[in-house]
Amino acid sequence: MHYLTFIGRRLLHIVPVLIGISLVSFLLVMLVPGDPVRLVLGPRATDDAVAAMREAWGLDRSLLSQYLTYVGNVVQGNLGDSLKYRLPVWDLIAQYLPRTAFLIGYVLAMTVPVTVLLAVTAARREGDWPDQVIRLLSVLGMTIPVFWLAVIFARLFGIQLGWFPVSGYGEGFLGHLHHLFLPAVSTSLWLAPVLTRNLRGALVQQMDADYVAACRAKGLPERLIFRRHILPNSVLPTLNLLGVMIAFLIGGSVVVEIVYAVPGLGALMIGAVLGRDYFVIQGLTLVYALVTVLVTLVIDLLTAAIDPRTVG
Amino acid sequence: MKPALTRMLLASAASLLFIAAPALADKIRIGSPYQTSTLDPMRSAAAGSIETFGQLYSRLLRIDEAGQLAPGLAETWEVSEDGKIITLTLRDAKFSNGEPITAEDVVFSLLRVRDTPDSAYPAPIQTLDTAEAVDASTVKLTLKHAFAPFLGNLEVFNAGIVSKADVEARGEAAFVENVVTSGPYMVEAWIPNDRLIIAPNPNYWRTGFPKNEGAELIEIPAATTRVSMLLSGELDVVRDVPWSQVAEVTANPGYAMPMEPSTVVYVGLLNHARPPFDNIAVRQAAAMALDTAAIAQAVTFGAAKPANSTIPNTLKYYDPDLKVNGFDPAAAKAMIDSSGYDGSELTILVSESAESEQQAVLMQALWAQIGLKAKIEKADAGTFWSRLTSGDYDATPTWYYNETTDPDLAVRWALCGACGNNAYYTFYANPEVDKLVEQGAAELDETKRAAIYAEMQRITTTEVSQIPIYYPPFANAYSTALHGLGMTPALQWTLEGATLDK
Amino acid sequence: MTETSAINLPARDRPRLKKGTIELAIGVLIVGAWILAAAGAGIVAPADPNALDLAAVLAPPGPAHLMGTDNLGRDILSRVIHGARIDIWMGFIGVLAPLCIGVLVGLVSGYYGGMTDTILMRLVDITVAFPFFILVIAIVGLLGPGLANYFVALGLVAWVAYARLVRAEVLVVKRLEFVQAAKALGFPDRAILFRHVLPNVLGSITIYAWTDAVMVILAGASLGFLGLGAQPPTAEWGVMISDGQPYIVQAWWICFFPGLAMVTLSLGFILISDGLSRRLRVSQ
Repeated sequence: MHYLTFIGRRLLHIVPVLIGISLVSFLLVMLVPGDPVRLVLGPRATDDAVAAMREAWGLDRSLLSQYLTYVGNVVQGNLGDSLKYRLPVWDLIAQYLPRTAFLIGYVLAMTVPVTVLLAVTAARREGDWPDQVIRLLSVLGMTIPVFWLAVIFARLFGIQLGWFPVSGYGEGFLGHLHHLFLPAVSTSLWLAPVLTRNLRGALVQQMDADYVAACRAKGLPERLIFRRHILPNSVLPTLNLLGVMIAFLIGGSVVVEIVYAVPGLGALMIGAVLGRDYFVIQGLTLVYALVTVLVTLVIDLLTAAIDPRTVG
Repeated sequence: MKPALTRMLLASAASLLFIAAPALADKIRIGSPYQTSTLDPMRSAAAGSIETFGQLYSRLLRIDEAGQLAPGLAETWEVSEDGKIITLTLRDAKFSNGEPITAEDVVFSLLRVRDTPDSAYPAPIQTLDTAEAVDASTVKLTLKHAFAPFLGNLEVFNAGIVSKADVEARGEAAFVENVVTSGPYMVEAWIPNDRLIIAPNPNYWRTGFPKNEGAELIEIPAATTRVSMLLSGELDVVRDVPWSQVAEVTANPGYAMPMEPSTVVYVGLLNHARPPFDNIAVRQAAAMALDTAAIAQAVTFGAAKPANSTIPNTLKYYDPDLKVNGFDPAAAKAMIDSSGYDGSELTILVSESAESEQQAVLMQALWAQIGLKAKIEKADAGTFWSRLTSGDYDATPTWYYNETTDPDLAVRWALCGACGNNAYYTFYANPEVDKLVEQGAAELDETKRAAIYAEMQRITTTEVSQIPIYYPPFANAYSTALHGLGMTPALQWTLEGATLDK
Repeated sequence: MTETSAINLPARDRPRLKKGTIELAIGVLIVGAWILAAAGAGIVAPADPNALDLAAVLAPPGPAHLMGTDNLGRDILSRVIHGARIDIWMGFIGVLAPLCIGVLVGLVSGYYGGMTDTILMRLVDITVAFPFFILVIAIVGLLGPGLANYFVALGLVAWVAYARLVRAEVLVVKRLEFVQAAKALGFPDRAILFRHVLPNVLGSITIYAWTDAVMVILAGASLGFLGLGAQPPTAEWGVMISDGQPYIVQAWWICFFPGLAMVTLSLGFILISDGLSRRLRVSQ
């Protein structure tokens, strides 16, 4: 199939997904119990004030009518206003998106080189002691709760040693790097093991493949086989995994953002969920979903460009 | 050439690193779990916004360092013989935009809080009948009836004066950008869900104030993170240090925790509208089963005082000598056995706060000892409030605080069954208490008022309208580089008089 | 595999265990020990996990309390042992519910193809579009904290991984001769699906499920940290860790031991997963 047709078909697939996403993000907050208005007005608000605000925000209208208003607004690029802050949801998201994006970029920049190094080392010496050590470490890394590690790091590197700030986003590029160091390392320590295990698995599988045996039979040096054949063939599955992981990180950054007081999308999400700020939750889940769809799309197109066989 | 280049690179790298240092070094950095959700004083009665309003908007009166009512925007005031007419004379003061603060602005601000349908908390000025601008600097307030706490209520957070011209011209936008303020500070930047940065208001009426360069009110939900930030020098003040970390912070010579008295009281609400707590014997047994001294010790490590009355111990007319339904598990057990309680399991509703959860666990264990079975149901704040207000619970440990030291608002909120919120949603309703509430508000004689509130405390504590648990102080930690900063019982920072060593 | 092993044939004469057996054995041992402890918690645990002792709060590990006590004087060892029930249960149900849904969707989608496949796969796309943790937080946050709602959230969200995995396997198995033969012989679809296709895809699901259980337990612990975890006074490791973290300086044991428990159980799960996958790969 032609590459352009592939792109066209892939884009067409997104339409029903987008409709589904809008429905899910809408119903998510509308069908559950809990009163947002009381939280916004404060505990001592009178029942009259609560009723007046519900009416003013259209929260007393039918579900369908609220959904249609919502979709109508979203299509025009309007995510509505925050119940709590009375500010456009999009403004709130736009303010925090770059911070979370920076954090994720930082985590990836830290994780990917380490992962490749560890996975290649482990795979090339499969079953040997470096492999065993790396596997053990990665299992440990996967099983330690991120928030626990984060609290310990803040104590050790922030207070005891005073090397890194334990909070905030900092000013300027270097400031960001400095302030987000601990959050990024904490996340990386969990992400790297997951990626390493998968990449190692993919590499080992390739090493068992028939064509590798054929190469060996031809007497090609092992190092060359590895670099020319095994590694390139392991890139695709890892690329796909990376896509999944980026999507996961967008959500997974919530915990470190809370522990390290990084005001990003995750912190906004938690505040909105606990405060029942309906339209912020809707807007955020929608934006999260769109970003994920976009990342998946890019990964798919990249995969297709690298390996035309997947187009068919 | 080459070394010079290296040096240049190093220098520029170093300068970049210096840019990375916080640019707002002279501001006082305050970390709190409570958020500023709006800059409009009418829009919220939640902690966080309350603290903010006080810094942005001056009220007619203020509470001075000694805790007494003192002149604010009103320089003098006169109360008529029958207590129904209050005439206030404004001082020569200006808004942050340089416009004069007039009687028109005062009338506008007060009526706005009273009359807007979704005004969050109109209760403090509910007795205001008419407000009139006699001339540019004279305001005449007429009350529906004599009301002792009224002057004190004019000091409450949402009675701050806003600019009539600006709010009428811009509507809600007036509280989002270029906010016109009348208090010691102006808004430098508001980043919702992150922080509010305030700068001194050059037109503030108190000359020589504020004494500092402003502050950053930073919102940090995680308690351990707040403490870590304080200890690593990223904050100067922390609100709500977890009780478990108080010892650690006070052991550090760089920080002080004065444990300022608050008007907060933790209470166990009981649902009077359904069994078993519709039965007074079960309520009294439940109260007597709770070892409040042990609870205060376990949860706050002794920082809080066990409570003996249904109202906070820092309020006027609080009765320290009241001793009813004290801890007595044997008597409680006997009462339960003869009360007719059928042994069905209760629901203790609890919102997600470490402190409330611990109280719930202790409550459950102590009640189990007298044969009162209970299960705990944790709910997020949204569900908690909708279940509480609709009476879908049997018991819940929670708290409230009072805006002023006058007990009127507190008893209306927590004890009165006819004041709109069913005695803090316990559905306790005693017509005698309701009558006392109105009598106490209308009585202008101090001694008689004291007697009325003492009687109210005696009745409600005896009938267990709710179980008083403990009176906690504010667990605020301050860097020793700060001077003159504290928190008043009404949740206001004394920020304008604070200074920060450099 | 060493660099020369392919050229010089591996030494078959030395008696060697199958690859992965050691991991599998250690994993089964660890998980088995935890299951035993959990099953016999009433006998093994020295005390009632919820019994308060306000006279002995924050007691360090010692003869009276091997792992110390927490801020309400509860015995940590007993809570850790009872917590195993909750956490193993959490891993079990948290994996089983999405697994069943996912397997069913994957089987149907892959086997029938066509319109069914298209619709089900769009459903998968929609669910995948929402970041896992965000959706779980939103669902648990909105429905209210507690394990039951966590399972609901997992059931709604986590099935997609299984559905995709199964569908991919089914597409391969479908073309195998014996399935084609069964079809030609007129066996009903259901019988083919469950008797012939399912057994063939179970291997890869099992391997994934053990790792997934670790994720379920870790994500559950994170929810506890965000205040959305198990109901008090339930002894659940994640909640114990997050409740204990303000005491990290004063009383490290409160969050250390539940943390250790969590790491060992997860380690057991991952070792089983690893062992299984290596053995399976060798046998193929």
